[in-house]
Amino acid sequence: MSELKPTNRKAELLLDAAAEGRAAEVYAMDTVAGCATTFDPGWEVDPFGGVASLCQPMEADLYGCSDPCWWPAQVPDTMNTYPDWDAGKPSAQNDWRELDAVFPKK
Amino acid sequence: MPIRSVPLLLALLVLAPAAPAAAATESGAALVRTWCSGCHRERAPGQFERISDIRKTPEGWVMTLFRMRQVHHLALPDEVHDALVRHLADTQGLAPAEAAPGRFALERRPNVQDLDLGPELGVMCGRCHSLARVALQRRDADEWLKHMHFHMGQFPSLEYQASGRDRPWWEIASTKLPAELAALYPLATPAWRDWQARAKPELAGRWVVVGHVPGGRDFYGTAEIRRDAAGEYRAQYALTEVGGGALAGESHAIVYTGFEWRGRGTLGGHATREIYAASEDGRRLTGRWFDPEHSEEGGDFTALRADAPAEVLAVLPQALKVGTGAHVVVVGTGLAGAAAPSFGDGARAVVARREANVLEADVTVAADAAPGNRVVSAGAASGRLVVYRQIDALEVRPAYGIARVGGGRIAPVTAQFEAIGATRLPGGELVSLGPVAAEWRAEPFDEEAKRTADVDFAGRLEANGRYRPAGAGPNPKREFSGNNVGNLAIVARARDAGDALEGRGHLVVTVQRWNTPPIY
Repeated sequence: MSELKPTNRKAELLLDAAAEGRAAEVYAMDTVAGCATTFDPGWEVDPFGGVASLCQPMEADLYGCSDPCWWPAQVPDTMNTYPDWDAGKPSAQNDWRELDAVFPKK
Repeated sequence: MPIRSVPLLLALLVLAPAAPAAAATESGAALVRTWCSGCHRERAPGQFERISDIRKTPEGWVMTLFRMRQVHHLALPDEVHDALVRHLADTQGLAPAEAAPGRFALERRPNVQDLDLGPELGVMCGRCHSLARVALQRRDADEWLKHMHFHMGQFPSLEYQASGRDRPWWEIASTKLPAELAALYPLATPAWRDWQARAKPELAGRWVVVGHVPGGRDFYGTAEIRRDAAGEYRAQYALTEVGGGALAGESHAIVYTGFEWRGRGTLGGHATREIYAASEDGRRLTGRWFDPEHSEEGGDFTALRADAPAEVLAVLPQALKVGTGAHVVVVGTGLAGAAAPSFGDGARAVVARREANVLEADVTVAADAAPGNRVVSAGAASGRLVVYRQIDALEVRPAYGIARVGGGRIAPVTAQFEAIGATRLPGGELVSLGPVAAEWRAEPFDEEAKRTADVDFAGRLEANGRYRPAGAGPNPKREFSGNNVGNLAIVARARDAGDALEGRGHLVVTVQRWNTPPIY
């Protein structure tokens, strides 16, 4: 590990966590299994018709979908249409219960 | 102030007039002029840029006005909004035949196979929307092109997503597809011209009703529909659940475009929304009602004018096993008469109740009756009943379903499965028996689902085939603190089959969505 130098803040956090024996915890929430924008796994169903290749947990990358307008038909895009959707809710994994549906039921 | 800002300022003044209440009394065209022409120039009397070049369903116009409020900050009072939707749906709607293919989306039917509009539109539109949403709009090519420009401006990263970045997306979107869409769904059509010219059906009167809720509940009864002082419809339902008790309901409905019934009311004390379509002759109403908080939970609805020509709407149940008996309800019109009703060869009936719109009888089928279709005749009406010896096939519907975890401010989405039985007649023909009683279980769909124990986390399957998904949010008990998603096989075993006859469906339990418009 000593040959590897962190080049960004996330990597520094990972290094700190490893030193404190918390690497597995960081891995679980900071590295999204099966989720990469170049792979586009799908919002609710993956290319194989299942869920094994979806982002998990979804909350780990939810704002990575709403900010760049990814899946805007499923996730409100904060880029243009719903700029305040996640206002005051900085952590999707902690604040997901407070996120509203954007189309009002009438 | 730069001179280019002056028109914008004027537009904003038009968007937010000082006395909105007065505007609600204006005619539809005047409302468009007052509330929309600040941005949508009136290029000719009553012709407004963009608006006059589009036709949509009531839900489509609701979505448009929602976008005007949300994105362009149009300060639109609710009463003006409602009046605009009525005006636009009435004058720029879809004819019954035009709306028919996409009705499942208006009715919010869950787990329906989408329309097939070919590979190009499937990739271009279907990767985000239902294709029914496309099929429920009408525009000419130049207006479809503007629609593409709108998408590019409002959702700019779609060009970089899969199926965008890997091909000349904008070239296809801006050159090929507008013409293709205009050929499929043009603004001017004979169907719309004819429908506009027709007298629209009057729906007040007495109706016979049948309803089916997937999962094993059937209803029948009557609806009394009248017009209130405002000219809107009020319905009173007096229904009976097959094998159960009475169920009363009411609704208040607006009919758009001359046939699109949109009601809100209660049934058995539960809130309902009604999405029905009147037939062009005004004799029939068909559609679906649902729980406003759970649009996936609802029922099929058919109503026929009580004085319509003789017709059987439903025979409940629709199949009887040889050597058994059942209380059979026939619902329809023209069922009364002097002649005894018949349930066909080998079926003996003791009539318990007989009126013009309902016939109830205790029907016994002889043990040696020949399996096959029977004609049920009562009065001048005739229907169909199947006599069967055994269930030979079991199909789980839907074959592929979606449920969604819920929690916080988003309700879970359940998935209802039905086991549809079929019997093979001596001649080899496979005949449907309709929904049959079954025992249900969930299994891992594949090895990966087994490894991640999806069955244990994703939710539970109820005795009537309804899947209730588990709660949303990261679950620390799962790998990567994953959500309670799952890839499941839904297996039905028929109770009435001697052998272990099973049918299998596929259920994906997945994450919630926050964008919930009336047309997906």
